[in-house]
Amino acid sequence: MKSRLTDIQDVLGSSGISICFSGRFSQGLIEEIGDAVKMHMESEDRPKNDIFNVFSIFVEQSQNIKNYVISKEQSPGRNRIASSATICIGQEDDRYFVWSGNIMENSDVAPLLAKLNKLVGVSKDELKKLYKVQIMSDLNPEQTGAGIGLIDIAKRSSQPLEFSVDNLDETYSRFELKVIV
Amino acid sequence: MEPLIIESTKSTPMVDFNAKNRILIIKGQSYPENSFKFYDPIFQWLDMFFTTVEDDDGLIKLEISLPYINTSSTKCILMLLEKFEVAEKNGRNMDVTWYYDKENENELECAQDFKEFVELEFNLIAV
Repeated sequence: MKSRLTDIQDVLGSSGISICFSGRFSQGLIEEIGDAVKMHMESEDRPKNDIFNVFSIFVEQSQNIKNYVISKEQSPGRNRIASSATICIGQEDDRYFVWSGNIMENSDVAPLLAKLNKLVGVSKDELKKLYKVQIMSDLNPEQTGAGIGLIDIAKRSSQPLEFSVDNLDETYSRFELKVIV
Repeated sequence: MEPLIIESTKSTPMVDFNAKNRILIIKGQSYPENSFKFYDPIFQWLDMFFTTVEDDDGLIKLEISLPYINTSSTKCILMLLEKFEVAEKNGRNMDVTWYYDKENENELECAQDFKEFVELEFNLIAV
């Protein structure tokens, strides 16, 4: 009989995933996983630019999730939200991807989708302009709810951002974002 | 004025700001948990420095090397450069050098972005 761990390994392998973390994020974990990603790509002799882009996207995505978890510290669902975070790095058709997901409160879904939809079909030049406007604004980027991080992610992605939301119940939804470098 | 010395960590740069010889160095990756918390003492030191330094004290040298910075650190570095921009407009004599890895076009692009964001002359040097 096949063990459940082997089943998990099979799913990871068939999805092209080489590094995966699921659970409560910490800054220390982000740093360690980030280093592991770099070392993994360096061992494959990937160009420095690709390594840099995958690392950047990983950091922005995981810090976005972590900031969201922090913003929900007073919420009754805080543990469910914190432990729902998942981030995977892998390859598909010889391109690297960073694929992340987490549970959100339903009321937070529409503002996030609005931000993401604004980035759909936007050219790299336009993204650079949006980035400049956002960075020059007086807002503290840690309080803007993932705005600038998402623009940066979109700038570094070679394909349109893939994202989806599944409604779980009257309070929560599951959000996913896949970025191909 | 006491120098500001911060050791680097995996996610924060090394900082060595010396008011005596007016050489200010910031070097390393920056993606801390809370960028504003990390950069706030640096801003405070700079505010104090620019109010105490005399015009005839000579050149102020800023040396920057940031192999990787996340978006919230980018905002903080912009705020830091804006302080230099203001000081230069107030007649301070500045020499800003930005070092980047010649094999990584992202680092050069990042430095060029900052050139666009602030009215401050700086030299870009490939290493």
